[in-house]
Amino acid sequence: MRQILFYGFLSLFFLVIHATLVNYLTIGNAIPDILIIWVVYIAVTSGQMSGLVAGFLIGLFVDFISGGVLGLSALTKTLVGFLAGYFFNENKIEQNLSTWRFVIAVGLAALLHNAIYFLIFLQGTDVGWWRALVLHGIPSTLYTTVLAMIPMFIFRRKYQ
Amino acid sequence: MRQFINILSTFREYFVLSLCILISVALLTLNDNPQIRSIRSITVAAIGFAQNMFGFIPDYFSLKKENSILRERNVTLAEEASLLRESKLENIRLRQLLALKERTSLSYIAANVVGKNQQPMRTTITLDAGENEGVQYNMPIVTDAGLAGKIVGTSGGYSIGQLMIHKDFRVSARVQRARADGILYWDGEFMQLKNVPRTQDVKIGDAVLTSSYSTVYPEGIKIGVVSSVRVEAGALFQNITVEPAVNFSALEEVFVVVHVPDSSRVALETQLIK
Repeated sequence: MRQILFYGFLSLFFLVIHATLVNYLTIGNAIPDILIIWVVYIAVTSGQMSGLVAGFLIGLFVDFISGGVLGLSALTKTLVGFLAGYFFNENKIEQNLSTWRFVIAVGLAALLHNAIYFLIFLQGTDVGWWRALVLHGIPSTLYTTVLAMIPMFIFRRKYQ
Repeated sequence: MRQFINILSTFREYFVLSLCILISVALLTLNDNPQIRSIRSITVAAIGFAQNMFGFIPDYFSLKKENSILRERNVTLAEEASLLRESKLENIRLRQLLALKERTSLSYIAANVVGKNQQPMRTTITLDAGENEGVQYNMPIVTDAGLAGKIVGTSGGYSIGQLMIHKDFRVSARVQRARADGILYWDGEFMQLKNVPRTQDVKIGDAVLTSSYSTVYPEGIKIGVVSSVRVEAGALFQNITVEPAVNFSALEEVFVVVHVPDSSRVALETQLIK
Protein backbone atom coordinates (compact mmCIF):
# COMPACT_ATOMS: atom_id res chain seq x y z
CA MET A 1 0.00 0.00 0.00
CA ARG A 2 2.82 2.36 0.94
CA GLN A 3 4.51 1.62 -2.36
CA ILE A 4 1.32 2.38 -4.31
CA LEU A 5 1.00 5.73 -2.50
CA PHE A 6 4.66 6.43 -3.15
CA TYR A 7 4.26 5.69 -6.88
CA GLY A 8 1.02 7.71 -6.98
CA PHE A 9 2.59 10.75 -5.37
CA LEU A 10 5.70 10.65 -7.56
CA SER A 11 3.58 10.07 -10.69
CA LEU A 12 1.63 13.21 -9.90
CA PHE A 13 4.87 15.09 -9.32
CA PHE A 14 6.32 13.96 -12.68
CA LEU A 15 3.04 14.78 -14.44
CA VAL A 16 3.19 18.36 -13.14
CA ILE A 17 6.86 18.59 -14.15
CA HIS A 18 6.00 17.19 -17.58
CA ALA A 19 3.19 19.69 -18.10
CA THR A 20 5.03 22.73 -16.83
CA LEU A 21 8.78 22.42 -17.26
CA VAL A 22 9.40 20.09 -20.22
CA ASN A 23 8.81 23.10 -22.48
CA TYR A 24 12.10 24.54 -21.22
CA LEU A 25 14.00 21.36 -22.10
CA THR A 26 12.71 21.06 -25.66
CA ILE A 27 15.35 21.39 -28.37
CA GLY A 28 13.83 21.83 -31.83
CA ASN A 29 11.67 18.79 -32.59
CA ALA A 30 13.15 16.76 -29.75
CA ILE A 31 10.72 16.71 -26.83
CA PRO A 32 11.88 14.63 -23.87
CA ASP A 33 9.30 12.37 -22.23
CA ILE A 34 10.21 11.99 -18.57
CA LEU A 35 7.02 10.01 -18.02
CA ILE A 36 8.38 7.18 -20.19
CA ILE A 37 11.47 7.05 -17.97
CA TRP A 38 9.22 6.94 -14.90
CA VAL A 39 6.99 4.17 -16.29
CA VAL A 40 10.08 2.13 -17.24
CA TYR A 41 11.46 2.65 -13.73
CA ILE A 42 8.22 1.33 -12.19
CA ALA A 43 8.21 -1.67 -14.53
CA VAL A 44 11.89 -2.48 -13.92
CA THR A 45 11.54 -2.24 -10.13
CA SER A 46 8.03 -3.66 -9.61
CA GLY A 47 7.26 -5.81 -12.62
CA GLN A 48 5.12 -5.94 -15.71
CA MET A 49 1.75 -5.61 -13.98
CA SER A 50 2.73 -2.44 -12.08
CA GLY A 51 4.37 -1.03 -15.19
CA LEU A 52 1.39 -1.44 -17.45
CA VAL A 53 -1.15 -0.18 -14.91
CA ALA A 54 1.03 2.85 -14.12
CA GLY A 55 1.54 3.44 -17.85
CA PHE A 56 -2.18 3.33 -18.48
CA LEU A 57 -3.10 5.74 -15.66
CA ILE A 58 -0.28 8.19 -16.41
CA GLY A 59 -1.09 8.09 -20.13
CA LEU A 60 -4.75 8.73 -19.43
CA PHE A 61 -3.89 11.80 -17.40
CA VAL A 62 -1.56 13.06 -20.15
CA ASP A 63 -4.42 12.70 -22.64
CA PHE A 64 -6.69 14.80 -20.48
CA ILE A 65 -4.22 17.63 -19.95
CA SER A 66 -2.83 17.76 -23.48
CA GLY A 67 -6.14 18.45 -25.23
CA GLY A 68 -5.18 15.86 -27.84
CA VAL A 69 -6.61 12.50 -28.81
CA LEU A 70 -8.03 10.83 -25.71
CA GLY A 71 -6.84 7.27 -25.17
CA LEU A 72 -3.74 7.51 -27.35
CA SER A 73 -1.14 8.15 -24.65
CA ALA A 74 -2.98 5.71 -22.37
CA LEU A 75 -2.55 3.02 -25.03
CA THR A 76 1.08 3.78 -25.87
CA LYS A 77 2.22 4.16 -22.27
CA THR A 78 0.43 0.91 -21.31
CA LEU A 79 2.51 -0.85 -23.97
CA VAL A 80 5.64 0.91 -22.68
CA GLY A 81 4.99 -0.42 -19.17
CA PHE A 82 4.30 -3.89 -20.50
CA LEU A 83 7.43 -4.02 -22.67
CA ALA A 84 9.67 -2.60 -19.94
CA GLY A 85 8.33 -5.29 -17.61
CA TYR A 86 10.41 -7.84 -19.52
CA PHE A 87 13.48 -6.15 -18.00
CA PHE A 88 12.18 -6.90 -14.49
CA ASN A 89 14.17 -9.38 -12.43
CA GLU A 90 13.47 -9.46 -8.71
CA ASN A 91 17.03 -10.46 -7.89
CA LYS A 92 18.70 -7.93 -10.17
CA ILE A 93 16.75 -4.71 -9.60
CA GLU A 94 19.78 -2.71 -8.47
CA GLN A 95 21.87 -4.09 -11.30
CA ASN A 96 19.19 -3.28 -13.86
CA LEU A 97 18.80 0.29 -12.66
CA SER A 98 22.48 1.12 -12.44
CA THR A 99 23.65 -0.33 -15.76
CA TRP A 100 23.06 0.45 -19.41
CA ARG A 101 20.19 -2.08 -19.35
CA PHE A 102 17.98 0.67 -17.91
CA VAL A 103 18.96 3.13 -20.64
CA ILE A 104 18.39 0.47 -23.33
CA ALA A 105 14.98 -0.33 -21.80
CA VAL A 106 14.03 3.37 -21.92
CA GLY A 107 15.31 3.72 -25.49
CA LEU A 108 13.36 0.69 -26.74
CA ALA A 109 10.25 1.75 -24.83
CA ALA A 110 10.44 5.31 -26.19
CA LEU A 111 10.91 4.05 -29.75
CA LEU A 112 7.93 1.69 -29.45
CA HIS A 113 5.90 4.48 -27.84
CA ASN A 114 6.58 6.97 -30.65
CA ALA A 115 6.17 4.40 -33.44
CA ILE A 116 2.70 3.32 -32.23
CA TYR A 117 1.78 6.87 -31.27
CA PHE A 118 2.37 8.21 -34.79
CA LEU A 119 0.81 5.15 -36.41
CA ILE A 120 -2.54 5.94 -34.76
CA PHE A 121 -2.18 9.71 -34.45
CA LEU A 122 -1.56 10.30 -38.14
CA GLN A 123 -4.52 8.28 -39.39
CA GLY A 124 -6.55 10.28 -41.90
CA THR A 125 -3.92 12.99 -42.37
CA ASP A 126 -1.53 13.87 -45.17
CA VAL A 127 1.49 13.42 -42.92
CA GLY A 128 3.51 10.27 -43.51
CA TRP A 129 4.31 7.93 -40.60
CA TRP A 130 7.95 7.47 -41.55
CA ARG A 131 8.46 11.22 -42.03
CA ALA A 132 6.89 11.99 -38.65
CA LEU A 133 8.96 9.29 -36.97
CA VAL A 134 12.22 10.58 -38.48
CA LEU A 135 11.45 14.26 -37.84
CA HIS A 136 9.88 14.00 -34.40
CA GLY A 137 9.85 10.44 -33.06
CA ILE A 138 13.53 9.58 -33.33
CA PRO A 139 14.87 12.92 -31.98
CA SER A 140 12.46 12.64 -29.04
CA THR A 141 13.44 8.99 -28.49
CA LEU A 142 17.14 9.88 -28.46
CA TYR A 143 16.60 12.81 -26.11
CA THR A 144 14.55 10.68 -23.70
CA THR A 145 17.22 7.95 -23.84
CA VAL A 146 19.96 10.46 -23.05
CA LEU A 147 17.93 11.79 -20.11
CA ALA A 148 17.57 8.23 -18.79
CA MET A 149 21.33 8.24 -18.17
CA ILE A 150 20.82 10.68 -15.29
CA PRO A 151 18.89 8.23 -13.06
CA MET A 152 21.20 5.42 -14.20
CA PHE A 153 24.30 7.31 -12.98
CA ILE A 154 22.50 8.28 -9.76
CA PHE A 155 21.65 4.63 -9.05
CA ARG A 156 25.16 3.53 -10.02
CA ARG A 157 26.59 5.93 -7.47
CA LYS A 158 24.07 4.84 -4.87
CA TYR A 159 24.59 1.09 -5.26
CA GLN A 160 28.37 1.09 -5.63
CA MET B 1 -14.57 -22.20 -12.41
CA ARG B 2 -11.43 -22.78 -10.39
CA GLN B 3 -9.61 -23.72 -13.54
CA PHE B 4 -10.76 -20.48 -15.16
CA ILE B 5 -9.49 -18.48 -12.16
CA ASN B 6 -6.18 -20.35 -12.37
CA ILE B 7 -5.86 -19.46 -16.04
CA LEU B 8 -6.68 -15.81 -15.26
CA SER B 9 -4.13 -15.78 -12.46
CA THR B 10 -1.42 -17.31 -14.67
CA PHE B 11 -2.02 -14.87 -17.49
CA ARG B 12 -3.11 -11.89 -15.39
CA GLU B 13 -0.60 -9.52 -17.03
CA TYR B 14 -2.02 -10.31 -20.46
CA PHE B 15 -5.56 -10.05 -19.13
CA VAL B 16 -4.94 -6.58 -17.61
CA LEU B 17 -3.02 -5.52 -20.73
CA SER B 18 -6.00 -6.48 -22.91
CA LEU B 19 -8.35 -4.60 -20.59
CA CYS B 20 -6.21 -1.43 -20.66
CA ILE B 21 -5.94 -1.61 -24.47
CA LEU B 22 -9.69 -2.11 -24.73
CA ILE B 23 -10.42 0.94 -22.54
CA SER B 24 -7.89 3.05 -24.49
CA VAL B 25 -9.44 2.08 -27.82
CA ALA B 26 -12.92 2.79 -26.44
CA LEU B 27 -11.73 6.23 -25.32
CA LEU B 28 -10.25 6.87 -28.77
CA THR B 29 -13.77 6.60 -30.17
CA LEU B 30 -15.29 8.88 -27.51
CA ASN B 31 -13.21 12.01 -28.12
CA ASP B 32 -16.08 14.38 -28.89
CA ASN B 33 -18.34 13.14 -26.12
CA PRO B 34 -19.80 16.04 -24.00
CA GLN B 35 -18.95 14.25 -20.72
CA ILE B 36 -15.32 13.89 -21.85
CA ARG B 37 -15.28 17.61 -22.68
CA SER B 38 -16.52 18.53 -19.21
CA ILE B 39 -13.83 16.35 -17.55
CA ARG B 40 -11.28 18.00 -19.82
CA SER B 41 -12.50 21.39 -18.71
CA ILE B 42 -11.54 20.49 -15.12
CA THR B 43 -8.07 19.29 -16.13
CA VAL B 44 -7.56 22.43 -18.26
CA ALA B 45 -8.24 24.56 -15.17
CA ALA B 46 -5.91 22.48 -12.99
CA ILE B 47 -3.04 22.41 -15.45
CA GLY B 48 -3.52 26.08 -16.34
CA PHE B 49 -3.12 26.95 -12.67
CA ALA B 50 0.03 24.81 -12.35
CA GLN B 51 1.56 26.23 -15.53
CA ASN B 52 0.76 29.75 -14.39
CA MET B 53 2.81 29.11 -11.23
CA PHE B 54 5.88 28.25 -13.30
CA GLY B 55 5.33 31.11 -15.73
CA PHE B 56 8.02 33.27 -14.14
CA ILE B 57 10.83 31.05 -15.47
CA PRO B 58 12.27 32.65 -18.62
CA ASP B 59 12.90 30.42 -21.62
CA TYR B 60 16.43 31.41 -22.62
CA PHE B 61 16.41 29.85 -26.12
CA SER B 62 13.07 31.44 -27.02
CA LEU B 63 14.08 34.87 -25.74
CA LYS B 64 17.28 34.88 -27.76
CA LYS B 65 15.46 33.86 -30.93
CA GLU B 66 12.64 36.31 -30.28
CA ASN B 67 15.09 39.16 -29.81
CA SER B 68 16.74 38.71 -33.17
CA ILE B 69 13.37 38.25 -34.91
CA LEU B 70 12.02 41.43 -33.29
CA ARG B 71 15.03 43.47 -34.37
CA GLU B 72 14.60 42.23 -37.92
CA ARG B 73 10.86 42.89 -37.85
CA ASN B 74 11.37 46.37 -36.49
CA VAL B 75 13.26 47.39 -39.60
CA THR B 76 10.68 45.86 -41.92
CA LEU B 77 7.76 47.38 -40.00
CA ALA B 78 9.19 50.88 -40.08
CA GLU B 79 9.41 50.58 -43.84
CA GLU B 80 5.94 49.09 -44.12
CA ALA B 81 4.38 51.69 -41.84
CA SER B 82 5.10 54.55 -44.19
CA LEU B 83 3.77 52.58 -47.15
CA LEU B 84 0.64 51.65 -45.19
CA ARG B 85 -0.10 55.24 -44.28
CA GLU B 86 -0.16 56.06 -47.97
CA SER B 87 -2.26 53.01 -48.76
CA LYS B 88 -4.74 53.78 -46.00
CA LEU B 89 -5.40 57.26 -47.32
CA GLU B 90 -5.80 55.89 -50.79
CA ASN B 91 -8.12 53.17 -49.45
CA ILE B 92 -10.34 55.68 -47.69
CA ARG B 93 -10.66 57.69 -50.86
CA LEU B 94 -11.49 54.64 -52.97
CA ARG B 95 -14.01 53.29 -50.43
CA GLN B 96 -15.79 56.60 -50.38
CA LEU B 97 -15.85 56.60 -54.13
CA LEU B 98 -17.20 53.12 -54.45
CA ALA B 99 -19.42 53.40 -51.34
CA LEU B 100 -18.19 50.02 -50.20
CA LYS B 101 -19.68 48.59 -47.09
CA GLU B 102 -17.17 48.92 -44.26
CA ARG B 103 -16.05 45.53 -43.07
CA THR B 104 -17.20 44.71 -39.54
CA SER B 105 -14.30 45.23 -37.19
CA LEU B 106 -13.45 42.21 -35.07
CA SER B 107 -13.12 42.32 -31.33
CA TYR B 108 -10.34 40.56 -29.44
CA ILE B 109 -9.72 39.06 -26.01
CA ALA B 110 -6.14 39.53 -24.82
CA ALA B 111 -4.50 36.52 -23.20
CA ASN B 112 -1.09 35.49 -21.92
CA VAL B 113 0.44 32.16 -22.82
CA VAL B 114 0.97 30.55 -19.41
CA GLY B 115 2.05 27.14 -20.60
CA LYS B 116 2.98 24.97 -23.52
CA ASN B 117 1.98 21.32 -23.69
CA GLN B 118 4.75 19.80 -25.74
CA GLN B 119 3.88 16.52 -27.43
CA PRO B 120 5.39 15.43 -30.74
CA MET B 121 3.29 16.99 -33.52
CA ARG B 122 0.54 18.16 -31.21
CA THR B 123 1.83 21.19 -29.38
CA THR B 124 -0.88 23.17 -27.62
CA ILE B 125 -0.73 26.32 -25.50
CA THR B 126 -2.53 27.22 -22.30
CA LEU B 127 -3.99 30.73 -22.13
CA ASP B 128 -4.97 32.62 -19.00
CA ALA B 129 -8.33 33.62 -20.46
CA GLY B 130 -11.31 31.28 -20.49
CA GLU B 131 -15.09 31.18 -20.53
CA ASN B 132 -15.28 33.97 -17.91
CA GLU B 133 -13.63 36.31 -20.41
CA GLY B 134 -15.83 35.13 -23.30
CA VAL B 135 -13.47 32.62 -24.89
CA GLN B 136 -15.32 29.85 -26.72
CA TYR B 137 -14.45 26.61 -28.46
CA ASN B 138 -13.10 27.07 -32.02
CA MET B 139 -12.34 30.82 -31.69
CA PRO B 140 -9.23 31.82 -33.68
CA ILE B 141 -6.00 32.83 -31.90
CA VAL B 142 -3.89 35.57 -33.46
CA THR B 143 -0.83 37.65 -32.65
CA ASP B 144 0.27 40.96 -34.10
CA ALA B 145 2.03 38.94 -36.81
CA GLY B 146 -0.95 36.83 -37.87
CA LEU B 147 -2.86 33.61 -37.29
CA ALA B 148 -1.52 31.33 -34.55
CA GLY B 149 -4.22 28.69 -34.06
CA LYS B 150 -7.63 28.11 -32.51
CA ILE B 151 -9.22 27.28 -29.16
CA VAL B 152 -9.81 23.57 -28.55
CA GLY B 153 -10.60 23.50 -24.83
CA THR B 154 -11.98 25.93 -22.27
CA SER B 155 -12.56 26.22 -18.54
CA GLY B 156 -13.61 29.18 -16.40
CA GLY B 157 -10.30 31.00 -16.30
CA TYR B 158 -8.13 29.12 -18.81
CA SER B 159 -8.28 27.78 -22.33
CA ILE B 160 -6.23 25.45 -24.52
CA GLY B 161 -5.14 26.61 -27.95
CA GLN B 162 -4.21 24.34 -30.82
CA LEU B 163 -1.32 25.88 -32.75
CA MET B 164 -0.97 25.83 -36.53
CA ILE B 165 1.97 23.45 -36.03
CA HIS B 166 -0.41 20.65 -35.05
CA LYS B 167 -1.23 17.73 -37.28
CA ASP B 168 -5.01 18.32 -36.91
CA PHE B 169 -4.84 21.97 -37.95
CA ARG B 170 -6.56 22.94 -41.22
CA VAL B 171 -7.52 26.36 -42.56
CA SER B 172 -9.00 27.59 -45.82
CA ALA B 173 -6.37 29.95 -47.19
CA ARG B 174 -6.02 32.32 -50.10
CA VAL B 175 -2.89 33.54 -51.88
CA GLN B 176 -3.56 37.28 -51.80
CA ARG B 177 -2.09 38.34 -55.15
CA ALA B 178 -3.10 35.32 -57.24
CA ARG B 179 -6.52 34.90 -55.53
CA ALA B 180 -5.79 31.17 -55.42
CA ASP B 181 -7.64 29.19 -52.73
CA GLY B 182 -6.45 26.08 -50.98
CA ILE B 183 -6.31 24.19 -47.73
CA LEU B 184 -3.37 24.90 -45.45
CA TYR B 185 -2.02 22.18 -43.16
CA TRP B 186 1.18 21.25 -41.34
CA ASP B 187 3.07 18.23 -42.65
CA GLY B 188 5.23 17.83 -39.57
CA GLU B 189 7.95 20.12 -40.87
CA PHE B 190 6.40 22.82 -43.10
CA MET B 191 3.04 24.47 -43.70
CA GLN B 192 1.68 23.21 -47.02
CA LEU B 193 -1.03 24.76 -49.15
CA LYS B 194 -2.81 22.02 -51.04
CA ASN B 195 -5.46 21.89 -53.77
CA VAL B 196 -4.12 24.92 -55.68
CA PRO B 197 -4.36 24.15 -59.42
CA ARG B 198 -1.12 24.30 -61.39
CA THR B 199 -2.61 26.96 -63.66
CA GLN B 200 -2.74 29.50 -60.80
CA ASP B 201 0.07 32.05 -60.83
CA VAL B 202 1.56 31.67 -57.34
CA LYS B 203 4.99 33.16 -56.67
CA ILE B 204 7.49 33.03 -53.81
CA GLY B 205 6.85 35.93 -51.43
CA ASP B 206 3.08 36.08 -52.04
CA ALA B 207 1.09 36.72 -48.86
CA VAL B 208 -1.27 33.97 -47.70
CA LEU B 209 -4.44 34.98 -45.80
CA THR B 210 -7.47 33.20 -44.38
CA SER B 211 -10.20 32.91 -47.00
CA SER B 212 -13.93 33.55 -46.89
CA TYR B 213 -14.61 29.81 -47.27
CA SER B 214 -13.83 29.15 -43.63
CA THR B 215 -16.57 29.23 -41.02
CA VAL B 216 -14.06 29.13 -38.13
CA TYR B 217 -11.68 31.90 -39.20
CA PRO B 218 -12.68 35.38 -40.34
CA GLU B 219 -11.47 36.37 -43.78
CA GLY B 220 -8.23 38.28 -44.26
CA ILE B 221 -6.07 37.23 -41.30
CA LYS B 222 -2.45 36.93 -42.37
CA ILE B 223 -1.09 33.39 -42.22
CA GLY B 224 2.33 33.77 -43.82
CA VAL B 225 4.15 34.05 -47.13
CA VAL B 226 4.79 31.55 -49.88
CA SER B 227 8.33 30.22 -49.45
CA SER B 228 8.46 27.65 -52.26
CA VAL B 229 6.38 26.56 -55.25
CA ARG B 230 6.91 23.24 -57.00
CA VAL B 231 4.96 21.84 -59.91
CA GLU B 232 5.56 18.17 -60.56
CA ALA B 233 5.19 16.83 -64.08
CA GLY B 234 1.72 15.45 -64.67
CA ALA B 235 0.35 16.75 -61.37
CA LEU B 236 -2.91 18.73 -61.30
CA PHE B 237 -1.97 20.75 -58.25
CA GLN B 238 1.06 22.74 -57.13
CA ASN B 239 3.15 21.95 -54.04
CA ILE B 240 3.19 25.23 -52.15
CA THR B 241 5.10 25.73 -48.92
CA VAL B 242 4.12 28.62 -46.67
CA GLU B 243 6.36 30.26 -44.08
CA PRO B 244 4.11 31.15 -41.11
CA ALA B 245 4.09 34.80 -40.02
CA VAL B 246 3.97 33.81 -36.35
CA ASN B 247 7.03 32.65 -34.45
CA PHE B 248 5.61 29.73 -32.46
CA SER B 249 8.62 29.31 -30.21
CA ALA B 250 8.23 32.82 -28.79
CA LEU B 251 4.51 33.13 -28.13
CA GLU B 252 3.83 35.14 -24.99
CA GLU B 253 0.82 37.38 -25.59
CA VAL B 254 -1.94 36.44 -27.99
CA PHE B 255 -5.46 37.58 -28.87
CA VAL B 256 -8.51 35.41 -29.15
CA VAL B 257 -10.71 36.68 -31.95
CA VAL B 258 -14.35 36.93 -30.87
CA HIS B 259 -15.69 35.30 -33.98
CA VAL B 260 -18.76 33.11 -33.87
CA PRO B 261 -19.61 31.53 -37.20
CA ASP B 262 -22.85 32.64 -38.83
CA SER B 263 -25.26 29.95 -37.62
CA SER B 264 -27.55 30.24 -40.67
CA ARG B 265 -24.58 29.68 -42.99
CA VAL B 266 -23.34 26.69 -40.96
CA ALA B 267 -26.86 25.21 -40.87
CA LEU B 268 -27.28 25.63 -44.62
CA GLU B 269 -23.89 24.11 -45.40
CA THR B 270 -24.47 21.20 -43.02
CA GLN B 271 -27.88 20.61 -44.59
CA LEU B 272 -26.36 20.54 -48.07
CA ILE B 273 -23.61 18.12 -47.04
CA LYS B 274 -26.24 15.75 -45.60
